[in-house]
Amino acid sequence: MKFTVNWLKKYIDFDLSNRELADRLTMAGLEVDSVEELYPGLDDLRVGLVKGVKPHPNADRLSLCEVDDGESVRRVVCGAPNVRAGMLTALAVPGTVMPGGFKIKPAKIRGEASEGMLCSAHELGISPDKAGIMDLPADLSPGQSLVEALELRDTLIEVDLTPNRPDCASVIGTAREVGAFVGKKVKHPGAGDLPELSGADLPFAVEVRDFAACPRYSARMVKGVKIAPSPWWLQRLLLALGLRPINNVVDVTNFVMLEYGQPLHAFDFSKLAGGRIVVRRAAKGETTETLDGVERRLDEEMLLICDAERPVAVAGVMGGGNSEVSDDTVDILLESACFDPVSIRRTSRRLNLATDSSYRFERGVDPQGTVRALERAVELIVELAGGVAVPGGVDLKEGLPENSPIDLRVRRCNDLLGLDLSARQIGDYLESIEIDADPVDEESLKVTPPGFRVDLEREVDLFEEVARLVGYNEIPVTLPHVPLSFADRDPAREIRKEVAAIMTAQGYNEAINYSFVSDRHYDMLGLPADHPARRNVRLLNPLAEDQSVMRTMLLPGILENLKRNVNHQRPDIKLFEVGKVFHPTDSELPDEEMRLVAVISGKRNPDSPPLHFGEEECDFFDIKACGENLLNELRRDQVEMVSPKETPAYVGGSPYLALQTGAEVLGGLGRLSADCLKRFGIKTEVYFLEVSLTGLAEVSPRPKSFEPLSRFPSVNWDLAMLVPENLAAGEIIEAVKNCGEEILEEARIIDIFRGESIEEGYKSVAITVTYRDDSKTLEDETVQKVHQKIIDLISTRFGGKLREA
Amino acid sequence: MEDELQRLRGEALVRLDGIDQSGDLEEFRVEYLGRKGLFSGLMKQLGQADPAERPRLGQLANSVKAEVEEAFAARQQALADSAGRESDKGLDISLPGRTVPLGRLHPVTQIMDEVCGIFEGLGFAVAEGPDIETDFYNFEALNIPPHHPARDMHDTFYFSESVLLRTHTSPMQIRAMENKKPPLRMIAPGKVYRCDSDITHTPMFHQVEGFLVDEKVSFADLKGILSIFIARMFDEKTPIRFRPSFFPFTEPSAEVDIGCVICGGSGCRVCKHTGWLEILGSGMIDPEVFKKIGYDPELYTGFAFGLGIERIAMLKYGINDIRLYYENDLRFLRQF
Repeated sequence: MKFTVNWLKKYIDFDLSNRELADRLTMAGLEVDSVEELYPGLDDLRVGLVKGVKPHPNADRLSLCEVDDGESVRRVVCGAPNVRAGMLTALAVPGTVMPGGFKIKPAKIRGEASEGMLCSAHELGISPDKAGIMDLPADLSPGQSLVEALELRDTLIEVDLTPNRPDCASVIGTAREVGAFVGKKVKHPGAGDLPELSGADLPFAVEVRDFAACPRYSARMVKGVKIAPSPWWLQRLLLALGLRPINNVVDVTNFVMLEYGQPLHAFDFSKLAGGRIVVRRAAKGETTETLDGVERRLDEEMLLICDAERPVAVAGVMGGGNSEVSDDTVDILLESACFDPVSIRRTSRRLNLATDSSYRFERGVDPQGTVRALERAVELIVELAGGVAVPGGVDLKEGLPENSPIDLRVRRCNDLLGLDLSARQIGDYLESIEIDADPVDEESLKVTPPGFRVDLEREVDLFEEVARLVGYNEIPVTLPHVPLSFADRDPAREIRKEVAAIMTAQGYNEAINYSFVSDRHYDMLGLPADHPARRNVRLLNPLAEDQSVMRTMLLPGILENLKRNVNHQRPDIKLFEVGKVFHPTDSELPDEEMRLVAVISGKRNPDSPPLHFGEEECDFFDIKACGENLLNELRRDQVEMVSPKETPAYVGGSPYLALQTGAEVLGGLGRLSADCLKRFGIKTEVYFLEVSLTGLAEVSPRPKSFEPLSRFPSVNWDLAMLVPENLAAGEIIEAVKNCGEEILEEARIIDIFRGESIEEGYKSVAITVTYRDDSKTLEDETVQKVHQKIIDLISTRFGGKLREA
Repeated sequence: MEDELQRLRGEALVRLDGIDQSGDLEEFRVEYLGRKGLFSGLMKQLGQADPAERPRLGQLANSVKAEVEEAFAARQQALADSAGRESDKGLDISLPGRTVPLGRLHPVTQIMDEVCGIFEGLGFAVAEGPDIETDFYNFEALNIPPHHPARDMHDTFYFSESVLLRTHTSPMQIRAMENKKPPLRMIAPGKVYRCDSDITHTPMFHQVEGFLVDEKVSFADLKGILSIFIARMFDEKTPIRFRPSFFPFTEPSAEVDIGCVICGGSGCRVCKHTGWLEILGSGMIDPEVFKKIGYDPELYTGFAFGLGIERIAMLKYGINDIRLYYENDLRFLRQF
């Protein structure tokens, strides 16, 4: 909603700076979006009188004009087709800086001296009219400041209206709010009694067939109007408020809408078949052309304004092309109606057609106000377009709701707001914005909201008005008294926080990606057509193709991040994301699963100088360590890393381990296949980890329990075994650890060696074994016995041989 | 003899004090403490002393020698310390540390955790709801029927007529109240979605919803809790104001502004020259909402609020482009 300050001042007296006004409106709930000086930079312009015009000797389209600037007569070269002797126009004398920053200087134009410029309204930023120079009203005099002569000094204020305040989609509604904080009453332009509109002997008839959808329909007629452009003040106001001036009649309907908030429509009466208006619902498949020239397909829930034969308007949304006011219109029928907000909104949505009219109707216009606005429009049309108002009119209001008062309980009001007001104070506050409030006793009031406040239906709505009028900032600040209770934690959030801490401790940075992705990603991963990750939930109205399905995996998003970083010269990457993925289900809502993904690529230690660590590239064991740390720190030891029979499509033959509890696969870690990387356009090796946190949360963590610290020393004995080349070293360690010897504390691989000295088909695995007895210091013979058993175990189970020293 | 001992002691200690090179120290050792050194010489003279005095003088000679040896050792240590170890030679300590830097949480997560932490401190429970919601939880139960103009404030992504991406975290009010009786205080952080994308909007962003329901909760209480939050999140001295607004699920509704953290209130581009920044929406929970979930609106009152995490991060960290949040550029992520 926009208004100008000068315009507002015609309805309410106040003495506030623009900044103060904007501030007070904002604090009253009418949030000011912008405050803008209108027509800036026109201070140097004057009114000029064109005294004489003759053709330019060297240019067909230019004229030489003698212009009176109030002090002297000067020669100005002008190219406008509408320049004529005797006209008053806008004159920029040399030295004037135009709104675009261009400075007017004396010049020679095609050999003729020109001392200034005659300006169009477009050049001055007043209107889009480029047709010629301004043709100013004859009552101005040359030399006057243009800004003062045209009353251009004004400020445009735009309010971001909340949907509950359609009453303020009008200058009078806004004035009423200003009145509340300056303590003044609104000056209504069309004060006085309203006529009773009766239907006797009228040249037209109105029939409303659906009073639920059209609770009230008022209409009057004006005969013999002369259609012409509106006067300057009206055109300028409409332009400033963002409306295009059309002609005097249409402009008046728009002006009254902006003034009172009541949308009006003017029909060319000669085009209304049978001189009738019928308000009815559309028939199925019915069509009509709205005045924007678009053929509209209607449905049975849409309300139409029809004449005796056909639709002439889509009610409350837009008039029809077949009955619009045109240059040769003589008699007009003016409609001022009230429509059901839901019906209008539905129609506007269906037709994808939002207008100033539908905006107001779908929020609710004052059902008491139709006639007041109608009278104001008739008065202005007669004034601006001539013609005679046909006495009387139609006012069908069978659909008007009963206006029942609301009981307001003083204690309830004070309790809810934290205030201590009396019934009388509450009444005074409400009366200040024209809400009828009668104290019944000390404890209650009977409140009757005015018609324009369609948002006030319940007691609590009135409480808000009281709070608003007291001022939110005047309400005390207290703290609630609530009983102590244990605040529940969300387990999903808890595990997310734990995981984030573990990942950041390992140097991984957190990424957050959109939950919607492109399903092209699954092709890039190389997933087969029947892969479960391809079963996803699809948006009906995505913003873009690459945001059209809900993700079922986190990996593609983070690979895009990785690529982006590589492209920005950050090739050494450790990223992770914790987020939801979405799987379709048979029930209404999809399943939401929380997952973790991590990627590592580039140098292992990019942030230290090479002389500290060397410049090693990260490898499989970096991502494996990440997985191990995760499982260890989360104490989810039951989750095993298993070499699976089949790897994911995006891994292929690259190293990969699945994370499993029993048969259930929770995730995996490994290196991405070259194919997959190529499809993502990534040129470096990438190691990744992905795991279901929802799944991990279901595995119970190993409880923390204390083991006593031994007082006796341990001993480390090494052994080196030749074992078959293809034997996994991890299996040997696993077997050694599970050999059942009590004094065996730990076994670790310290080296794996292949080379010339090693027999073909074998490798040397060096292991260090830690022995300890918790009850005494170990003796060599005891250790020797167990150590030999381990050698025997490796020999017999794996075909190993003790390596000769 | 005794005088000679004392003189030698004084002389040795003074010399030791003046020694600042290890070569001189060795010279000293030979001269005083060596087998042919001055102390040994004196010891040898003991035999010529009065036998009655001999034990006492012997004891004295030993203690003086021990004292000088101790001073020598101390000096030796001090010299060694100041000279440094051989292995330290050439160590360039201006080189950076052997760091394996910790990772960082996304700024959105950091702010989210900070916001949640403040409310957890006030005893609020935390619960995250589903991102994909039904029309009922996202709109209907929150007093936003179909064809309500307030739906214009929510550009909604749909999966079907009744299933959508939540446009705010407010559905968690309903889900929580359905399952529990007051008193209730809870916050619900999470992702929300609007189909709107331009320089100031991303189609996905983060909110934290909060609400408190009990008997006799007032608008003044809402102001109290939110004032505490803003003092903690920003600064004790941050100016704060409440102004009327509209949300279908609260009545009265309030927008909360803080004094502009960029210009300090004098007016700038960020605060649109008003000196104030909108930071959260709030209000007293509408009785219609209580009716929908079966609470008695005469008995219970409560307040709810919601705030956008990205906006707070922008204000706290001075981030000027919302799109940076989801590009996950390490140059961005490593700044926080």
